[in-house]
Amino acid sequence: MAGLAGALLLAIETSCDDTCAAVLDGPRVLANTISSQAAAHAQFGGVVPEVASRHHLELAAPVVEAALSEAGATLDDVGSVAVTAGPGLIGALLIGVSTAKAIAAPRRLPLIPVDHLQGHVAANFLEPEPLEPPFLCLLASGGHTLLAAVRDHAGHEVLGQTLDDAAGEAFDKVARLLGLGYPGGPALEKLAREGDPAAFEMPVAMSRDPGLDFSFSGLKTALVYLCRDLGPDGVSERRADLAASFQAAAVGQLVAKLERALKRGDWQAVALGGGVAANGPLRESVREACERNGVALKLVGLELCTDNAAMIGSAARFAEPIPYPGYLAYDAFATGKRAA
Amino acid sequence: MHEERLGLGPDGSPRHSTALLAEVERAVAAIGGWGAVGRIAVGLGPGSFVGIRIAIATARGLAASTGLPVTGICTLDALGRAAGEAVGPDRACLAVLDARRGEVFAALYSADGSRLWEPFVAKPAELADRVGALPQPSLAVGSGAVRFRDELASRDVEVPGDADPVHRVAARHVCALAEADEGGDGDRLEPIYLRPPDAQRWRERNDVRTAN
Ligand SMILES: [Zn+2]
Repeated sequence: MAGLAGALLLAIETSCDDTCAAVLDGPRVLANTISSQAAAHAQFGGVVPEVASRHHLELAAPVVEAALSEAGATLDDVGSVAVTAGPGLIGALLIGVSTAKAIAAPRRLPLIPVDHLQGHVAANFLEPEPLEPPFLCLLASGGHTLLAAVRDHAGHEVLGQTLDDAAGEAFDKVARLLGLGYPGGPALEKLAREGDPAAFEMPVAMSRDPGLDFSFSGLKTALVYLCRDLGPDGVSERRADLAASFQAAAVGQLVAKLERALKRGDWQAVALGGGVAANGPLRESVREACERNGVALKLVGLELCTDNAAMIGSAARFAEPIPYPGYLAYDAFATGKRAA
Repeated sequence: MHEERLGLGPDGSPRHSTALLAEVERAVAAIGGWGAVGRIAVGLGPGSFVGIRIAIATARGLAASTGLPVTGICTLDALGRAAGEAVGPDRACLAVLDARRGEVFAALYSADGSRLWEPFVAKPAELADRVGALPQPSLAVGSGAVRFRDELASRDVEVPGDADPVHRVAARHVCALAEADEGGDGDRLEPIYLRPPDAQRWRERNDVRTAN
């Protein structure tokens, strides 16, 4: 089985609640398969780690198979296997890492462990319109919120990140407060369209902090108190105003930090990524900010914004492969960055 | 037919993710490479949730990579088979794994290895009551039998000495059971959790957090 490796790259991503596999031919995405577990987690109003791990185990092998078949390929065409090594839910990551290692080892293929956040950054390197570094990357999702300086293909420097909740997490929690279900982002955006974004005064988080970090827990707490004061009837009467006010404040904070970072560096381009990039008002505000500052804006397709394996494959193209058998004992990591 | 061992630890659950695949590759190399392997056997649990999943994900990945058939074996069945070899006829064998949190995973087998009780999770005292009601005394093996020796002994259940190898899940029993199951199919590799996820507890904690 060894020695006849093909040129394609197989990538696997299982860091949170989506089971993903992709097949890449260089920067070209041949297949990008995502099996969402959102429905399984809806009843809990969030991602339950043990539930996520159970689903990943059921879905990992079929999703890999589906990606290969969509790419019109077999494992014989694959020359290396990339996988998200962290950060993320450790039990979830272990499914992807175990699967990737076990696929690679009998074929003596190299394994390429990838940092999940670098994956989001590397989504911008994919065809059809790859964005070349340097650029400033704003990532906002249910799991992360950060501003990163991308100066080359191999890595990124975190300029600022959330000190508490991720932006998408705040959207989900507020949506739940307003009885919108999970995941709440799209429902909250829809409801906010009928509301007045200036109806309620929201705390401006981190306004006195000259840095680039984010904070969303204050915003969420403000909503909790507002709902308490309004009472159940008041809340149901003013749901749209509450949604619109919260959304405006959250988007405002993201864009304010982005603009601050733009003013501090000599940037020519901005990339927006993460699941929250699907939010219309955020896209619009970022677009306006980029125009104001005379920089280009790159928006990848939504399927590359949310967690996916194509972005992991993209990052793998610029990462260090571990040849067989060096990765047999390789382990996933839950938080931070792997040192080596 | 050649079988492969998937590194089951002394408590019957597969070892940590760093040890498993290296051990598999070492064993495969010892018999001349993957070309000499005819089937992959894997323990499906019960055991640690993470351990079970690493083992099954690894077995499925290996099967996809090699095209080999894969068979899943209930870890308690492997223990029960081992115990069956150790006792004479007419005695039931209880396979007991330490399930942590003061509980055990258990199943009861006849001396020929067939299941008398389906696998279940219980407090040691509940298990002792259940075996105490059996017509004749039985033999109990496994990490849970060692750990809760006193509870079991009080109901006339015999537990071999702590160091007796019969308490370990032996790869050869996993393999022998896999060999008996010819129609192995990776799609049927259902993990044997026996416990629901801690979702309810998690939901309650999340409610508190959201309200704060
Ligand atoms: Zn992500």
